[in-house]
Amino acid sequence: MRRFARSTEMTLLAICVVFFVFLVIASKGDLVSANSLRVLLQFLAVPVLIGLAQMVVLAVGQLNLAVGAIGGFASAAMGVLMADHGVPVPLALLIGFLLAAAAGLVNGVLVVLTRINGFIVTLATMTVLLGVQYRLVGTRTVDAYPQGLKDFGSFALFGVLPLIFIVALIVAGALSVLLRRTVPGRQLLASGGNPIAARLSGISNDRSVIIAHTLSGAVLGVAAILTVASSPGVNKSIGGDWLLPSFAAPIIGGALLTGGSVVVLGTVLAAFIVRFVDTARAEFSLEPSWVNFVVGAVVLGSVVLGQVRTRRQQRRTVVKAPDATVAGGVS
Amino acid sequence: MTLFQAEKVEKVFPGVRALDRVDLALEAGSVHALLGENGAGKSTLIKVITGLYRPDGGRLLLDGREVSFGSPHESASAGIGVVHQERNLIPGFTVGENILLQKLPTSRGLVDRAAIRSEASRWLAELELDIDPDQPVTELSVAQAQLVEIAKALSIESRVLLLDEPTASITPNESALLFRVVDKLKNDGRAVLFVSHKLEEVFQICDTVTVLRDGASVLSGGALSDLTRDQVVDLMVGRTHEALSLPPRAVDRDVAPILELAGVSTATGHVDVDLAVRPGEIVGLYGLVGAGRSELAKALLGLDRITAGEVRVRGSAVRIRNVRDALRNYKIGYVTENRKEEGVFLEQSVSRNIAVTIWDRLRKALGYVPAKEETSTVATYVEQLGIRIASPAQHAGTLSGGNQQKVSLAKWLAAQTEILIIDEPTVGIDVRTKDAFHTLIWDLAANGLAILLITSDLPEMITLADRVVVMRDHAVQGELPNDHDYDRMSQQVIRLIHAEGTTAA
Amino acid sequence: MSVSSTATEALQEDAPVAALRRTPWWANQRIGLLILVVLLSALFGVLRPAFFNQQLVVFPLLRDIAMFTVVGLAQLSVLSIGHMNLAVGRMAAFSMMITGISYDLWHFTLYSGLLVGLIAGTAIGALAGWVIARTGVNSFVVTLALDFLLLGLIPLVYTALTDNAAFVTKPPGMRELRNYSLADICVGNVCGSPAVPQLAIFAVVAMAVVGWIFTRTRLGRELLMTGSSVRAAELSGIPTARRVIVAHAMSGCLAALAGFMLAISTGSIKATIGAEFMLPSFLGPILGGTLLAGGFVSIWGTLLGTALTTVIRKGLDLLGVGLESLNIYLGLILLVALSTDRIRTVLSERQGVRRR
Repeated sequence: MRRFARSTEMTLLAICVVFFVFLVIASKGDLVSANSLRVLLQFLAVPVLIGLAQMVVLAVGQLNLAVGAIGGFASAAMGVLMADHGVPVPLALLIGFLLAAAAGLVNGVLVVLTRINGFIVTLATMTVLLGVQYRLVGTRTVDAYPQGLKDFGSFALFGVLPLIFIVALIVAGALSVLLRRTVPGRQLLASGGNPIAARLSGISNDRSVIIAHTLSGAVLGVAAILTVASSPGVNKSIGGDWLLPSFAAPIIGGALLTGGSVVVLGTVLAAFIVRFVDTARAEFSLEPSWVNFVVGAVVLGSVVLGQVRTRRQQRRTVVKAPDATVAGGVS
Repeated sequence: MTLFQAEKVEKVFPGVRALDRVDLALEAGSVHALLGENGAGKSTLIKVITGLYRPDGGRLLLDGREVSFGSPHESASAGIGVVHQERNLIPGFTVGENILLQKLPTSRGLVDRAAIRSEASRWLAELELDIDPDQPVTELSVAQAQLVEIAKALSIESRVLLLDEPTASITPNESALLFRVVDKLKNDGRAVLFVSHKLEEVFQICDTVTVLRDGASVLSGGALSDLTRDQVVDLMVGRTHEALSLPPRAVDRDVAPILELAGVSTATGHVDVDLAVRPGEIVGLYGLVGAGRSELAKALLGLDRITAGEVRVRGSAVRIRNVRDALRNYKIGYVTENRKEEGVFLEQSVSRNIAVTIWDRLRKALGYVPAKEETSTVATYVEQLGIRIASPAQHAGTLSGGNQQKVSLAKWLAAQTEILIIDEPTVGIDVRTKDAFHTLIWDLAANGLAILLITSDLPEMITLADRVVVMRDHAVQGELPNDHDYDRMSQQVIRLIHAEGTTAA
Repeated sequence: MSVSSTATEALQEDAPVAALRRTPWWANQRIGLLILVVLLSALFGVLRPAFFNQQLVVFPLLRDIAMFTVVGLAQLSVLSIGHMNLAVGRMAAFSMMITGISYDLWHFTLYSGLLVGLIAGTAIGALAGWVIARTGVNSFVVTLALDFLLLGLIPLVYTALTDNAAFVTKPPGMRELRNYSLADICVGNVCGSPAVPQLAIFAVVAMAVVGWIFTRTRLGRELLMTGSSVRAAELSGIPTARRVIVAHAMSGCLAALAGFMLAISTGSIKATIGAEFMLPSFLGPILGGTLLAGGFVSIWGTLLGTALTTVIRKGLDLLGVGLESLNIYLGLILLVALSTDRIRTVLSERQGVRRR
């Protein structure tokens, strides 16, 4: 499986490189200028994180419809705390981060306690959090927060590498280590891969589900921090367009919806590809909706191909995940 | 020295006494066989020992001390390792991680891959297996996966090892490797429980035996060296109650077969299968679990590909595409062995469960199904099959196993099929209802239905079948006319099925 | 095939039949919903007498209930087989785009445009169903990807064909349909209520047709059986692949109808139609008792669930709660409703165990 994943990631990497070279040529070299590169990476940080936030829950056979709502709600909370209540920046960011993680925890606990399908639970929490976000910022755009934070959001190392992109990569790296090299991470994946076997080995699938949702919330907390730092202000529409990309990145990256797979690198690379599609769109001054159209086609194409490959693989091997997911999840 | 003991263990499910004061003792340095027919209680006993079920009576003793396990994890911690019938490996993980999953070694908070490699290698070496601990388990063969599970069961320092039908899905060559491992475990002083259907294996590697029949231990801890194969078969099959007396029924041998298979090979591995069923005839298809009988039925119904040969229905060669095609165009029905998942819709009413096959026939313009005809058809079969329900609106999931089976059968009778493939009709059904089913099947044949009866229940086969076709390893091993003489028939069938060295061409 | 009396006799059992436990009427989810809707309406009426204003409140309220019920039915069609349609809103937008084109470019009449839209919706739904049946990829992902595709495609078409991202041609009858109520339909001297919009008739027809399909026809029953257990359905001779396609086609068709109703009530055909459909499409059926796992649907429940959420929305709006923060209450209601349902199931299961 890992070798197979590695091959998916190799394919994605190759596509990324080819795509990048194509864009460089198409822009007559403009893209490799420091400024263009910085812009390219600047807008990659948040998509990478929301893709990872979805991937973590997919790994345990769940899904999270509330990605945008958690991120938007946490961003709004941070903005309001800093602008309206004068809370110091680090404290406000910490509170926002913790709120996001707590929202994820609530998702996980609700799924485990009520045994309701994760789809419905996160649909409900999504609705609630959207309401809370609106309650916090209303129709305003909250932007009266310290300049220092905005500087952090737009600062780029050597004028090329935006800090927020580096933060996103650090989160990706940490998540990868967590899922690959720690006991809770391995247990989480075991629950996603074969819940029955995991249970027989003394692993609590409920705990894995709660951890996955909490991690998802925490990653979204970081995404919210980066959003607040890098956007001109916080309003009610932040997070509104996160849901679809959050699924696109892990699915293109090779995550199995039945759980049990970690594709941190794949998710990051898929976010790159989506970003390249957007850059290409801008390069040829096409309508913004072309991006959604192309991404939709790519998602559909990659799941269909993935399914064909899985079927072929199942014919060859004996160890496969049972159809059952941990507690609801994708049905 | 007795390592583990089960004393008068009981387990009761609604309507069924699954285990009835079962005794079992496992000695250190010995391989103990657990034998019994399907539904005799072997799996239930394993589940009780490993803590998946709580016993309703009796006690378990480990090293002479009474124990009680609330979960499989607790029994594992106490030193009881299990290799389940279902594969229990995590697909995305390596061999090493799977072996040590219960207790992954760490250093400084991180999973220690070097330690996993060395420790897993130790267990693999203990079993003298040449498998790389870094290999993903998805790359293993079935037999290798099995052995990795044994290594996993050992890694918890277990002294008692339960192997639940470990050879069911592996080839004879692969079994040899497994037996070497079992031998080694025994010589190391562990107690091994070996569950199998294959008698030759049991006589080859086991020392003692416990035989279960209808949930009770009819023999507990007998030495295999004192027993003959026939004696063991007698114990397993038994003659639990008076033989059912069925009225005579003659099959007209001159009538052309309604269903014929000529040289059929399938994508699921069947080779050159010949078979014929006449109207009014019951043909028994006998074989061990995994011999490929249900798979043959499913290929016949178009659910798997037929790669060679010919299927003839009423004399003309046909290619059946799916169950709907089989029902609509050829009047063939299939009563599945997998009642709960494939036979009945647990969350639907009994009425809909029975009527599901007749909507197609009853429908009027715009697909309207007249309720009156539907209700009357359902009522007819509820009454004729004695299905015990308070109302046809009752969900099938609330019924007993026997009544669910009646529902599963009723839909094919309602559909007015002429050829019925019945797969393991009485698994997990109590003796009295079993007899009633036998009477029914007999009666259906007397009324002209052609029946292909798939069963692993020898008495059932000998009671009902006009001819017995024995299958082994996806090929027909031989065919016997049935004279309903239990002793002679069972000898012949068992001999045919356990015949060593003989394989079908 | 008939069974002889000997066999019938042998098959009789003497075990007593467990009496079927009937759910008491007050535990019935639908009746509970109805009572809630009535009580809440009364409460809002007492707090804000304007709640019963026929023209300003009841008329648009019923129009919303009608529309969202149809949205709910669109989701219910696929829930019946245990699938989901995340593109329900975008399918509505797609169909209305085709309808808009038919009005704008081909000068169709109001109803022939609707027909074209319904056909387009059915086609796009069938396409989703076909991909699912053919590839075996789960419905969530396929409809999600389709949502992306349409989200990209629709604005492109609008930009190409219109000036202000909306089709401006309004066929005759459109404005009337928007404002007319049953008071405009008279039989002799008896006219209908001015509080009931004519648009509600569409919802009634949709409910009747969908209800008829699920209770009276082979198709509906086979859909439910497929939802209960695909394997058992396949082995009982139900063509499950075709049923999957039909369920999604129905969903697309109903989504198109809902899109039409929205277009009529807002008075314009634009790209954003259906953007707010997703949550209500699940709220109505799920609150009404339709199972997410498939195998059971409730058409009345969908109406009542939709009515409940719409009444709450309207009532809180009148009480001055901001429209968007209403979401907080709706989400909480969904959670509480489902949790109590779960608690009830657990309790009855426990009782069942004890009874043994």
